[in-house]
Amino acid sequence: MILPGNATVTDATSIIALPAAPLHALEIWSNPQDLATRVHKALGFALPPMNRSAGNAAITLLRYEPTVWLVEGDTSVLADTLGDDGALTAIGGGIVRFRIAGPGWRELLLEGGVFDTSPAALPVGATAATVIDHVGVRLFATSEDACIVYVPASYAQSLHHFWEEALPLLGA
Amino acid sequence: MSGPTRVPSGEETIEFTFDGTSYHARQGDTLAAALLANGIGLVGRSFKYHRPRGIMTAGIEEPNALVTVGTGGRAEPNTRATDVFVYPGMVAKSQNRWPSLSFDVASIFGLAAPALGAGFYYKTFFGPAKHWLRYEGFIRRAAGLGNAPTEPDPDNFSQSAGFCDVLVVGAGPAGLKAALDAAEAGKRVWLVEQDAVPGGSLLRDPDPAIDPGAMVERIEALGGKVFLRTTASGYWDHNFLTLSQRLVEPGAVPPHGFAQRLWHVRAGRVVLATGLIERPVPFANNDHPGVMLSQAVRSYVRRWGVVPGKRVVIATNNDDAYLTATALVEAGAEVVALLDARASGPAAPAGVTVYHDARPASVSGRKHALRKVTAVIGGSEQSFDADLIAVSGGFVPVSHLHMQAGGKLEWNVEAQAFIPGSNPQVCETVGSALAPPPAPAVAPAGKAKKSFVDFQNDVSLADIDLAWQEGYRSVEHLKRYTTLGMATDQGKTSNMVALSRLAEKQGVTVPEAGLTTFRPPFTPVTMGLLAGAGARNAGAHVRRIPLHALHEAHDPIWQPLGYWFRPRAYPVNGETLQQAALREARTVRTAAGLSDVSTLGKFEVSGPDAAKLLELVCATTVGKLAVGRGRYTFMCREDGFVNDDGTVWRLAENRYLLTSSTGGADRMAHFMSYVRNSLRPELKCSVVNVQEYYGGIALAGPKARGILAALTGAEPPRHMGYAPGMLAGVPVHVLAASYSGERAFEIHVEASHAAAVWQAIEAATRAEGGAPYGLEAMELLRIEKGHVVVGGEVDGRSTPQDLGLGGMLNKAGGFIGAAGLTRPALSDPNRNNLVGLVSLDGPIPEGGMLIQRAGQSPQGHVTAAARRIIEGGAIALALLQGGHHRHGEELIVTSPTRGEKARVRVTSPHFYDPAGERYRD
Amino acid sequence: MYQITCPHCGPRAQTEFTYERTTDSVVDPAGDAQTAMQALYTRANPMGLDDEIWRHTYGCRAWMVLTRHRVSHEIHAVKAIGPEALP
Repeated sequence: MILPGNATVTDATSIIALPAAPLHALEIWSNPQDLATRVHKALGFALPPMNRSAGNAAITLLRYEPTVWLVEGDTSVLADTLGDDGALTAIGGGIVRFRIAGPGWRELLLEGGVFDTSPAALPVGATAATVIDHVGVRLFATSEDACIVYVPASYAQSLHHFWEEALPLLGA
Repeated sequence: MSGPTRVPSGEETIEFTFDGTSYHARQGDTLAAALLANGIGLVGRSFKYHRPRGIMTAGIEEPNALVTVGTGGRAEPNTRATDVFVYPGMVAKSQNRWPSLSFDVASIFGLAAPALGAGFYYKTFFGPAKHWLRYEGFIRRAAGLGNAPTEPDPDNFSQSAGFCDVLVVGAGPAGLKAALDAAEAGKRVWLVEQDAVPGGSLLRDPDPAIDPGAMVERIEALGGKVFLRTTASGYWDHNFLTLSQRLVEPGAVPPHGFAQRLWHVRAGRVVLATGLIERPVPFANNDHPGVMLSQAVRSYVRRWGVVPGKRVVIATNNDDAYLTATALVEAGAEVVALLDARASGPAAPAGVTVYHDARPASVSGRKHALRKVTAVIGGSEQSFDADLIAVSGGFVPVSHLHMQAGGKLEWNVEAQAFIPGSNPQVCETVGSALAPPPAPAVAPAGKAKKSFVDFQNDVSLADIDLAWQEGYRSVEHLKRYTTLGMATDQGKTSNMVALSRLAEKQGVTVPEAGLTTFRPPFTPVTMGLLAGAGARNAGAHVRRIPLHALHEAHDPIWQPLGYWFRPRAYPVNGETLQQAALREARTVRTAAGLSDVSTLGKFEVSGPDAAKLLELVCATTVGKLAVGRGRYTFMCREDGFVNDDGTVWRLAENRYLLTSSTGGADRMAHFMSYVRNSLRPELKCSVVNVQEYYGGIALAGPKARGILAALTGAEPPRHMGYAPGMLAGVPVHVLAASYSGERAFEIHVEASHAAAVWQAIEAATRAEGGAPYGLEAMELLRIEKGHVVVGGEVDGRSTPQDLGLGGMLNKAGGFIGAAGLTRPALSDPNRNNLVGLVSLDGPIPEGGMLIQRAGQSPQGHVTAAARRIIEGGAIALALLQGGHHRHGEELIVTSPTRGEKARVRVTSPHFYDPAGERYRD
Repeated sequence: MYQITCPHCGPRAQTEFTYERTTDSVVDPAGDAQTAMQALYTRANPMGLDDEIWRHTYGCRAWMVLTRHRVSHEIHAVKAIGPEALP
């Protein structure tokens, strides 16, 4: 029963800002099927569908938009396959990645949010772009225990503070 | 000994204070229960007449017993004593009384009640204004509830999203069953209950067959969530509800920093098991302490072991109140009379005399304690010696959420009640709200003047009659004229009583008289809860520029700019803002300065159709730009007015960088997406918002080129040229753009490397006698140069021609706004045009109006005022009717609000280097 | 707050979306001034169903047309618009 005042601090849930990484936006504007085939051949895996991820040790693609993928890692192979059907644009400097790990990560991301972070709506490997406390963020459920949140750099510090403040509420 | 007492079982272990006196309470007591247990019947003073008031109910519908709980910033005024649970150290205070609760000076207003009747506030508006000024002070002192705390609330408030298949509101017998059924069917269930324990009516009328605690455990074991002290306060579109959860009681210190939580819940299905609220009975002095609702009396006896009176009269029009008689008798109280308005009723407990066709007419008492109840029985009056009257005028189904959801009501004649009917959302009502006990209409027996209907707003039957007499026919007018149902209880106990009276006056049935609208919240919500984490920092996160920490080391004056914070000036040696800005601007004019321009809107546009898209968005030509070149550009809205401005650069064959204003960056991002994806989805191009990817540094001044050449080891591009380069070991874009009027560059660098680049440029600039400059210096520089700013001269009403930019328009057309610009009104020669103003005497007041002579209508206004940076003398930019053709004219700038005035001469807006010679090397 | 079923993301809160305009107020950049002004200032504004352009701005950023009832707020249909995209 959820009684007033019996909050327990879940120490196990942590928020860590990850070091800056090369991130790119891959946008496809023409011949999507052709290009998808070329990319599949070059990378060894298919472009992920909406709100899903795919990748290997060198590169991860996260699809948040119908025509745009967020690419994390080495884009050299990808760049050569695009031809005149798409382009890569560097965006890493504008994004801070947070790793939220521990049993409370799904509950923490409901704080100030509007998106259902339950495993049914955000299974491991899934991605979702949404709003947390008025800030547009992108979620990537990397495992049962952790999620990466991509936050606009300008909001990173205050959103981090927002989450730290909300930690004691977990399980409250 | 009369008055409320406690049944001697259980320990009173919790200490609290009420009006400074210490008392004890039992675990689980509401403040109301604890006060009654301590023999306290007088709890507050009424809103308008300051009449003594006691505790009338045992729930959230309480209109009378409003107290302030907590101290300092945690104080919560207007807390219902029936809806707050006592905790150790709780500090509660009565309200609206002076000097003390039992002796209140303003209660003599009660004697003036005839003058303060319905519509009193409205009536004060008529007649001379100076009379109103006198009334106002009087009304403000006299009328009111508790005082808002003056200190900031130290607690946090959380706002969280919630999702469930089934949301059940109310943990009474019907709600518990609905929640358990859904949980057993494998649904994700939320059950919310405003009380601190589950059970609802079972807490008053226990049923050995139902164990609320066990049901809650079962629901939770099946994965359901049960929220206590949580009120479903709003029902919005598409099964979206807001729940306000108290994590601690009002005024208590929350262990984890959060006092309350607002849940935003999207539910697949909603089950409303919200029950009934009992109707009071109108009779003279029915607001006296010692007049209590029948079910409330039963709750105090059964749930809290508090007997609110020794000698009790019960007045009812239904069977339910007979249960109260039983409870009182069991608790050892004497029921001196049971007044049943009906001709017959069920059997009463032994020893209780039932009077049929009996209605209460008045009560009286002494020192706020009830002494006598007078009733009309048959045709004659009879008085009873009593210290409590338990009343029941029937029941009102709690249909607030149902109505907020857009539901319909059905009239039940037997119960004289509106019952929830169909609902357009996925929502149903269950339980007693669908089946209120039969309770016939009863004509009030007492004098209308003191027969209160709305206890919290001091509205009596006589006030309703007066409103009717003065022509207020609709229920909505009645509400506004009398303030009925407008207090913090939103008429939970009063609306139906009043509506019956109105229907009676109109000679129609109650449903024909109509109902006022139900609006959220169901019970009052603390402002902090609505603000959430935004209660601090003006409700928004601060957006930090990449170099925030670096600037902070210079201790600048910060300027909030939208959500951003940017350095406004870097004062040294105790300079004022103006002194610092002037020094910084002079440094730029004479040596070099560097400034943070990271917040500029920036878009990378790539692909074979990139230029096509840009020629749609930009009102200037773009396609002819050579690789490595850029130009000033501006964007129009579809109606032809300028929307934003910036620069566009061709970085490579199929790649462009477009910059736009800071303030318009989000708007521009949306606009770019609209044009590219909605309007022209066939274009082969990619638009990426890189506003935050790049940190931007402007380097300006006669020495800028030399500084940059030394830092990059390469000849910087000429004015409006672009070149990639390396600076401080980091790849950068160098854009030779100028906003200041000096030879200048914007250096854009991936934000995570911006600090190294800034530090290198700052050191080199300082070595040349330069310095960083902030927004204030930038403003002085751009005004002198005659550059427009979005939000200043570009005010949403100015065309390119108005701003002197007409010559730059793409002659081929085809851009957004081209059609709008052809409207004849936009080429009216008398439109407001951008001009410069040179003062012929003192400073020019910013925002001042431009007139020819005193007393004339304004012909324009000053958009930005400054001084000449080197020469001195006041200048300004202004929008002036027909201004392009009025250079040389003398005008007056006047600012009546500031009491400032200046004589000015109209000039070109380009005060500084109009030929652009300083851009040449 | 509405729940809008984004064609790409499924049901999401209205907070993530922004309203743009009705489909009958779209201005063709190649059109003449009179048609443009008519689109901007003389919309049908029916008391019933209307086709509205919305954007999942704080989600997948994609555009769509909502057929929405302006009185009951019921959303009858959602149709994706925008460049050709992979499923």
